[in-house]
Amino acid sequence: MKKFIALGLSAAMMLSLAACGDSAAGTASADTAASGTETEAAESSTEAAAETTASADSLNVCLASEPASLDPALNTTVDGGTLCLHLFSGLASWRQAEDGSMELVPTCAEELPEGVVNDDGTVTYTYTLRDGLKWSDGKPLTAGDFVFAWNRAASTALAADYGYMFEAVKGYADIWETDADENYVNPDAKLAVEAPDDKTLVVTLNNAIPYWNELLAFPAYLPVREDVVSNEAWATDPSTYVGNGAYVMSGWEHNSVITLKKNDQYVDAAEVTMPEINFYLSDNSNNMLTNFQNGDWQMIDDVPTNEIAALKEQYPEEFKVTGQLGTYYACWNVNQEILPKGSSLTGVEAERAREEIRRAISLLFDRNYIVTNITQAGQVPASSFVAMGLTDADGSEFYQNAGPSDAYNGYYDVSADALESNYNEAIETLKKYYEFDEAKQQFTNVPSLIYLYNTSEGHKAIGEYLQSALAGIGITMNLENQEWNTFIATRKAGDFTLARNGWLGDYNDPISFLDMWVTVSGNNDVQLGKGAHKDLKAYSLDLTDLGYDLKVTDGTWAETYDVLITDIKTCTDKETRYELMHRAEDLLMSTGTICPLYYYTDLFMVDPNLKGFFTSPLGFKYFTYSHF
Amino acid sequence: MNPKTLKYILKRIVLALFTIWVVITLTFFVMHAVPGGPFVGEKAVSPAVQKAMEAKYGLDKPLGVQYWTYLTDVIQFRFGPSLKQRGRMVIDIIGDGLRTSAKLGVISAGLATLFGVVLGSVAALRRNTVTDRIIMVITTAFVSMPSFIMGSLLLVTFAVKTHIFPANGSTRAGLVLPIVTLMLYPMAYITRLTRSSMLDVLGQDYIRTARAKGVSGMRIIFGHALKNALIPVITYLGPQLAYIVTGSLVVEQIFAVPGLGRSFVNSITNRDYTLIMGTTIVLATLIVVMNLVSDIMYKIVDPRIHLE
Repeated sequence: MKKFIALGLSAAMMLSLAACGDSAAGTASADTAASGTETEAAESSTEAAAETTASADSLNVCLASEPASLDPALNTTVDGGTLCLHLFSGLASWRQAEDGSMELVPTCAEELPEGVVNDDGTVTYTYTLRDGLKWSDGKPLTAGDFVFAWNRAASTALAADYGYMFEAVKGYADIWETDADENYVNPDAKLAVEAPDDKTLVVTLNNAIPYWNELLAFPAYLPVREDVVSNEAWATDPSTYVGNGAYVMSGWEHNSVITLKKNDQYVDAAEVTMPEINFYLSDNSNNMLTNFQNGDWQMIDDVPTNEIAALKEQYPEEFKVTGQLGTYYACWNVNQEILPKGSSLTGVEAERAREEIRRAISLLFDRNYIVTNITQAGQVPASSFVAMGLTDADGSEFYQNAGPSDAYNGYYDVSADALESNYNEAIETLKKYYEFDEAKQQFTNVPSLIYLYNTSEGHKAIGEYLQSALAGIGITMNLENQEWNTFIATRKAGDFTLARNGWLGDYNDPISFLDMWVTVSGNNDVQLGKGAHKDLKAYSLDLTDLGYDLKVTDGTWAETYDVLITDIKTCTDKETRYELMHRAEDLLMSTGTICPLYYYTDLFMVDPNLKGFFTSPLGFKYFTYSHF
Repeated sequence: MNPKTLKYILKRIVLALFTIWVVITLTFFVMHAVPGGPFVGEKAVSPAVQKAMEAKYGLDKPLGVQYWTYLTDVIQFRFGPSLKQRGRMVIDIIGDGLRTSAKLGVISAGLATLFGVVLGSVAALRRNTVTDRIIMVITTAFVSMPSFIMGSLLLVTFAVKTHIFPANGSTRAGLVLPIVTLMLYPMAYITRLTRSSMLDVLGQDYIRTARAKGVSGMRIIFGHALKNALIPVITYLGPQLAYIVTGSLVVEQIFAVPGLGRSFVNSITNRDYTLIMGTTIVLATLIVVMNLVSDIMYKIVDPRIHLE
């Protein structure tokens, strides 16, 4: 009899396991009841399922994996920034207006006043804090907290990646000034931020900058309290996390979920419509999509690239694409030789030839093909480095006013109609420098190129397209992929001919795209002004028409571009400043080292029943005023 | 315990410590030789920031000094702070991941052993019957199916199509599918191991003697045969347990389980040196210890085995 029972039990187990392997098994949960352990597991599944079901009182979203830091000063990611902006409230914040447009509104400040220009050209802003501002632990928030937080974020001791966001504030340069041995010269230097009383904050900028108020809405400018952050691990655990925003952190299971609950101490608590938000942490876009399709999660910030086309069809209501301030491009190493062997050109003449060649190759690519057939997420073909979405002095799009011609935007015509003329122009240019076999319609002596990209299906597909476009005219381009961190190191070291690159602006001002190309910039991967390019006197700059006493003929990169960027940063006249920025981009694009491919878009999926949710141009997501 | 066994165990412990030291040394120098670093990103930080960060974590010192400092810290079980997740200690990150991975690993290994031994015994007893054949066909299928296919299949069936279990492994219910995925391969393997070694044992003289004396079938199996038939299973189980406890990257990736495997791979991509070292040491220690435990288990199960 015992034997019989044992056999029966084994048979039941076997059946249950067989059911697990059967793709049509709808009866598995009944079958698994054969084993005690599995029954327990099945029960707990119903419990948890109840927890995660959508309700009007809570929202489940997934932006990305575990953020590296939720300290507003140390955060470097858009997803971490989104969390900080829910947990803290700065002087200003983005809000969605009635008509759907984005507007900057004061939050901790009573209002956002104009700055007062001082005699020395610096600009002083005075803010009055609102009544009733409190930290989530009930203590009052003072202007001194902002003074502390900003000085901390800009300090050498914290060495935050985004410390440079305070560059505009007077005193920042003193803090970071170093001597020849890279020791700090002014260890006691502070930002020009003061709190004459608990409700008044006075900040002085080096010069007027049009995007100052926008900076106030950036995570790095959020307040933190000294006694809270004196614990270095404060931002890793809900029990020590004290903010002043619409939400408090009520739970953080690392690598799993961060739970935010409405903050009753928040000054505008009455306006907060979403009582609870669960930020699930995952970097697996397939898994995100499954949870979204199941209805467990109502908003996901990433989707699998190869599913994009299908998702657009299946989920027209849910699939969203918004603009993002960024450009995807290929960059050339300015110091790599691309002229044919035995070329007699040297010095400036050779550089002029390389400029022409690089620009000609840029014309060979069909950017419309890339965005419609490869990336497929509403990206816009790019013809300039400063991205779409950044505004010009008169409020129009900066990129539309860029470049030599009014007939098209940017530096080349990237419309589908211009494809043939671009191609012909490129061939004619290249014929000047390389041998062309008319019968085969191919170039025969172009040195083979290497395109470096970081390992990813999307980058690979684009690389393969660029490769095939060049192969058509006899130019060999080999693809080389490297793991992310290695790739970044290789590209920074200038160990490449052509490399995949991309840039997302930190604020809506073209300088956030242009100042990265000064000689000493850590992002100057093209190596402009470095190596052999350092002494090349190939650039001219004439700013006399703008009232500057500056005219350089045949200058180096440092004598032209670097000077121009410094002038932009100290320029106080809006019109002139924007004109200077257009000239900087003209100079940059004249080198041909930047081959823009498309302007980034931000794509995500969101439950259409969720109202009041919005996203800022920098990609931050706002759930505070959302509701079902 | 006799002195010979004790001596053997001591010898093995010394050898284990040596192995772990070799692992630490190799990982440390290879890790630093790989291009890139923990403070490298798409947006470059200024040289001053880079310098400040390196000084903060002692990365500005010569590699030999760093190695020595690390070694003396590790001996005192100090794994240091994560270089990437600022404010978090390596030990806490590993602790979080290990809790989840261990839960997953212990449950799935337990279930795999239970089902595997029972199914294997049944198959051996019912040799060449339909039951045996069915068990063999199913286990062959499970052994030959890689976990990423099995995981995806289970995910599509039970999470996407029927919504019985959630797709996200961060909830309790979400752990069911990863546990099943992790369990099936070792279960099938143990079934086959048990079956063949049980068949071997059942052919032995002492079993025939027991039968002749009229001992019941169940007593023969559980009283006499099983203990000896389990020796190969133990050999297999020790290292296998270490592997699944330390986190199966594939399964954690498919089901988004916050386990140790995922944080290991991320730490390498991020060049989070202290986390790479910490995770490697924990993994190496677990595997070495599990091997040792399974060797000692032999001795307990089969006194004929001499440990030398």
